[in-house]
Parts: sequence; C-alpha cells; structure tokens
Amino acid sequence: MDLLDFARGPAINVAMVVLVFGTLWRLLAILFLGKPADRTVPRLGMPGPVGAALREIFRRMVPHPTFAFAERFSFFNGWVFHIGLAIVVFGFRPHVLFIKNLTGLSWPTLPSGVVYVVGAITLVSLVAALVRRLTNPVQRFISGVGDYFAWFVTVFPVITGLVAVGHVGARYETLLAIHILSVALLFVWLPFGKLFHAFLVFVSRGTTGAFLARRGV
Amino acid sequence: MADQKTLGERLAEHGVSRRAFVKYASWLGSLMALPPATSRAMAAELAKAKRQSVIWLSFQECTGCTESITRSKGPTLEDLIFDFISLDYHHTLQAASGEAIEAARHAAMAENKGKYVVVVDGSVPMKDGGIYSTTAGHSNYDTLMETVKDAFAVISVGTCACYGGIPKANPNPTGAVSIGDLVKDKPVINIPGCPPIPEAMTGTVAYILSFGKVPELDHLGRPKAFFGENIHDRCYRRPFYERGQFAHAFDDQGARDGWCLYELGCKGPVTYNACATMKWNGGVSFPIQSGHGCLGCSEPDFWDKGGFYVPLSGSIGPTAKLVGGAALAGAVAGVAAAAVARHRKSSLNKG
Amino acid sequence: MNADCGHPAPATSLADAVFAELAHALVRLAETGEETVVDLRSLPFGPSDLEALSEKLGTGEVTSTLEVAGRSEVRETGWAGIWWVRHFGDGDEIAAEEVHVTRIPEILVSHPDDVAFAARRMADAVVTTGPQEPTAADEEDMSRG
Repeated sequence: MDLLDFARGPAINVAMVVLVFGTLWRLLAILFLGKPADRTVPRLGMPGPVGAALREIFRRMVPHPTFAFAERFSFFNGWVFHIGLAIVVFGFRPHVLFIKNLTGLSWPTLPSGVVYVVGAITLVSLVAALVRRLTNPVQRFISGVGDYFAWFVTVFPVITGLVAVGHVGARYETLLAIHILSVALLFVWLPFGKLFHAFLVFVSRGTTGAFLARRGV
Repeated sequence: MADQKTLGERLAEHGVSRRAFVKYASWLGSLMALPPATSRAMAAELAKAKRQSVIWLSFQECTGCTESITRSKGPTLEDLIFDFISLDYHHTLQAASGEAIEAARHAAMAENKGKYVVVVDGSVPMKDGGIYSTTAGHSNYDTLMETVKDAFAVISVGTCACYGGIPKANPNPTGAVSIGDLVKDKPVINIPGCPPIPEAMTGTVAYILSFGKVPELDHLGRPKAFFGENIHDRCYRRPFYERGQFAHAFDDQGARDGWCLYELGCKGPVTYNACATMKWNGGVSFPIQSGHGCLGCSEPDFWDKGGFYVPLSGSIGPTAKLVGGAALAGAVAGVAAAAVARHRKSSLNKG
Repeated sequence: MNADCGHPAPATSLADAVFAELAHALVRLAETGEETVVDLRSLPFGPSDLEALSEKLGTGEVTSTLEVAGRSEVRETGWAGIWWVRHFGDGDEIAAEEVHVTRIPEILVSHPDDVAFAARRMADAVVTTGPQEPTAADEEDMSRG
C-alpha cells in the first residue's frame, strides 16, 4: 500500500467516521438539551421566535453601523474566504466526485481554472486573516491555541490542494495523498474545535435572536 | 547463438547498410528524448556492438508481453531489434523443446558469462515451495536464480515481473513476488505495463546494447525515458479537464465529444507511462483515445486500488457503510448526552 | 482559424522560434562547420506548426527516398545546408522527423565500413566471375533488375 492508497483508504475512512460521529454527537446533544421554561410574558410588537431568529441571522451578516468602519477588514475578508472555501469545496469536480462516490449526489461544477484562481484568492485571504489576528492587539489578546489550530487545519488543505494541482515539488500521487491527508486532519478536528461553527453558527444566532426578541431587544 | 561478428557486419551480409543504424538511432533517440549527439554515438556504437545474447524466462504470465513485442506488420524499423539480439531461450518463440532447449539455455549462459541479459515476464510463486509454476521440473524461483547468476542485467517485462501484477492481486493465492524482490545483486530494470509498450522494451535493450549500461531509472526501477511523465500531463484530453468538461457516463454526449474521463475512473494522473505520446500499434491510438480511462497498468498493484471506475478523488473501502454506522452511533451518543444533561439539571432543580 | 475556408494555418511563434534557431545554426555551420540536428518530434508542434515551418523553409534541389528498414525521405530545403529528414516505420507511420543543419545528412553518405565491405565483395566478384561469362546467379539478378 502506497501513501495515496493509505490516504484514499484507511485515513479518509477513519476521518469520515470521526467527522460524522462527532458532528451528530455534539449537534444532537445541544439540540436536545432543551431550554428552561420561560415564564415571562413576551414583549408586544416583536416578531415571533422564528421571525426573530431569521432576522438575527441576517442582521449579523453585516456589522452594526457603529462598528462598520472599524470592522471593515474583518467583514470583507471574512466573506471572501468563506465564499472562496465554499466555491473550492463545492465547485471543483474532483471534490464533488468524492461526495458523489459516497452518496450518489452530484451537481454542475466550475471550470478547473476558475477554481484554481478562487483557491489562490482564498489562500491570500486566509493569510490576511492570520496577519490581522497577530497584529491587532485585541484579536491577539483573545486568541488561543484553538484559534490558531483551527486556522491551520483550514489553510493546510487549501495549500496542499493548490500545490497538487500546480504539480509543485513532488510527484502528483504524493501531492494528492498529502492533500487528502490534510483534509482528513480537518475532518477529524472539525467537530471538536471552533470550526464547529460551520454547523452551529445559524443555530446560535437564531437562538439568541429569538431570546432577545422575547425580551424586546 | 551469439557470434563474434559486429551488428554492422551481420546486417551488411544481409544487404543492409549501416544507414539502418543511423535511422534506428534517430528513431530511438527521438523516443527516449536523447540529445542528437547521443543518438549519433548510439548509431556508431550499435554498428560496432556484438549481437546481444538474451534469455527470456516466462513465469506466471499470459504471454501478452511477448505478443506486444512481436506485433509488427513487416520487416521495418521496429523489427531491427531482432537482428540485434540473439534470443537464445524463449518458451513461446523457440523451435526446440525439452532437454534440447534447456541445454541451449545452459550453453548460452556459459558462452556469454557475465554478458547476457535475462528478460523475465511473469511473477514468481513462492508459496508452498513454488509448486504453482514450474518448467522442466524446476520451480520458477530455482530457474530464475540459476539463470541470473551470471547475467549482466535483468529486464523485468510487464507488471507481473516488475511488481507481481495480476498473480499477486489480492488474495495472492500463489504467494507471487516480483523479480526485483528476488534479484538483489544485479541491475533489475522494470518495463511495466499490461502489456508494456513494445518500443519501451526494445528501446531499453538497444540502449544497453549501445552504451553497455543501464539507462536512468526512477524510484520504481523504470527507465525515465519512457516512464518519466504521467499520462494526464501528456493527455490530449487534458484541456477538457482544465475546462471542467467531464464525461459522466460512457455513453453520454461528453463521452462522444471526447471529454475528460476523470469522473469515469481514469488513473492517468497517477500513472507513469508513454501511452499518451508514443501510443500503440505504431502510433494508432491508446486506451484514453479509444474512450476508456487509464487503468494504471504500469503501476504496482494496479489491480487492488479500489476499482477501475472509482474516480481518483473518491475514497476506497467501505466508506459509505462506515459513515452510516458512525451517523447512527453519533446520534445515539448525542441524544444520550442530552438526556443525561437534562436528568442532572432536573435533579439539581429538585435538590 | 477555420481549416476549410482556404486560409493557410497561422504560423505560431513556435515555428518562428525554430526558424530563428536554424538560422543561428546555419551561421555556425558556415563559420565553424558545427552541425546541428533538431528533433521535431521533441517539440510541442501541432500539424499547423509543422506546415508553417515547412513552408518557411521551402524546397531545394535535392529530394531523395531511401529504402532502409522501411522508407525514409531526405529533402533539401530552400536554404543550402538545411535538410528535412523523415523516417517511416511500421505501417508508413512517421517514426522520426528531424531538421539537419549539415552539408549532407549522415544517412545519405556511404559509411566507410560499408564501402570497405563492398570493395572486398566487388573485388571477389571481379576475380571469380570475370566479365565474359555471367553465372546463373548473376542472370537471375539481372532478370530481377
């Protein structure tokens, strides 16, 4: 068994098991937790819980006007790499084929050349995010090991993917194997670190929105 | 049997001038991407060379490799190799049989001690004392070790000889191993493929004949001149890959329009061979041109790499079943964790 | 470019680059006698590039066909000292295609060893048969010719 066989076989299989098990475990544990009975009377004139949840989800997609200028970099850069990652993951044919091979689901994808460019932009954006985290005193103060590790497991597949398609430094099968292993690392870490926001971001914002609306905020 | 005449003299006796060597070297030099000066030297050296004694051993194989090397339509350029070598032993091509041919093998070995080349196609069974393949009452292992003892070099022809090939495929019932696993004290050159491209076989022999040395090999023992680049990088369908145009089925419009076969399991990106440039049958076509993805036949264990029709980016093994099990276990664990937390909270409230 | 509208294929910069390289090589041949061979198959040439280069090089006075392990063609181009050599293999497929910058391509010249061998055979022919009485074998040869 060579490195590529290991990556495509045991490594990615174990990573998928950890990803799916960990995600469902954490997600269901939170969703079924229930909330304490709220005996207060909801404020009048506020939207119901669903409307409030949706309002909060969309409202948080742009910064509050007060901080719009100060947060302009985080806002813009954050959108760039999130959309970039989505395009690379769901718009590149070989990635979709991984999903199709597993589930049978498939959808139209982008020309590979477009994805390469988006991947490069995403990489630059992720590096910029790290620079910002290191140079901004406040961000630096509130950042822990988990933040930096989350950044690393995100950027590593982007780098290895670009290196693989660019055929840089080693034979393609080796580069492809390293790319798949880097994705395996991401999968294994995703349910347990801050990257779990991929699943929780709208849950937490919606919950907050519904809670605050009841209080009239 | 090898004699003392040079190849130039031999061909001259058959009314062929030394121009044949110039032409042969031009052709081979172009195939192997040798510098033109080296090609010229090759022509001169070939004319001066003695006929190379070759002993061809066939073990666990299908004779497809021999078929490949002998597939030529007329007495042309590609056939000159048969004037350059003296094929002193070959199960399929030899006229003699029985004791006589075994005696011929021993005679060739004695006469060309240290100079003959052993070509092997097929893998060697090692399980149960190697009884699964024998010739003249000897196991393949014994025949191989006896024959390579005084050889100059060994050329493994075909994926079976190079890496074990199909006999070695899971579960490898005969305990098949490659020639390189057994021969450690001689240069072993691997010309893999199922079968190999004939020019890769003849070119390597001609190179040894001209320069008296083994050509530059890659980490899997393959001549870089023929196995230096992967199929994908030289594939004429590569632009479709870059444009994201893939055939989704063997009979869809994309397949008819000649789009990239990556999605149908093509192993071109991880397969190193000259099919895309040299092609087959004198440059007529190669598998991808005929509409089927590359199987990766020149790579070790190509038979056991998770399926010919699984795309390269797809996982191999029972991933779907594992994920299903993980989903179930994860759901149970999540609901259980929530239940435990609720129970604790309510008991706290009571207490 | 549409192939069937009658326009010649566009000369890419690749054909121009090879042409320029050959011009330099020809200067070297003229000044120092240094010969050059360009293997056209090693270049990423398309059919239109080959056509473009062939057109730029033109045709000279000499065209020869060889029958040696299959067919070969040697053609002088419009520039003295630049020769276009094509070797054919099995099934008349082009096995090698080169441009030689030389006074005469090596494959046209009789090799000294061949000359020596022929000289011995010819001397034998003079001694054994003589001019007057042709043998049966020679007659057979003549009837074939």
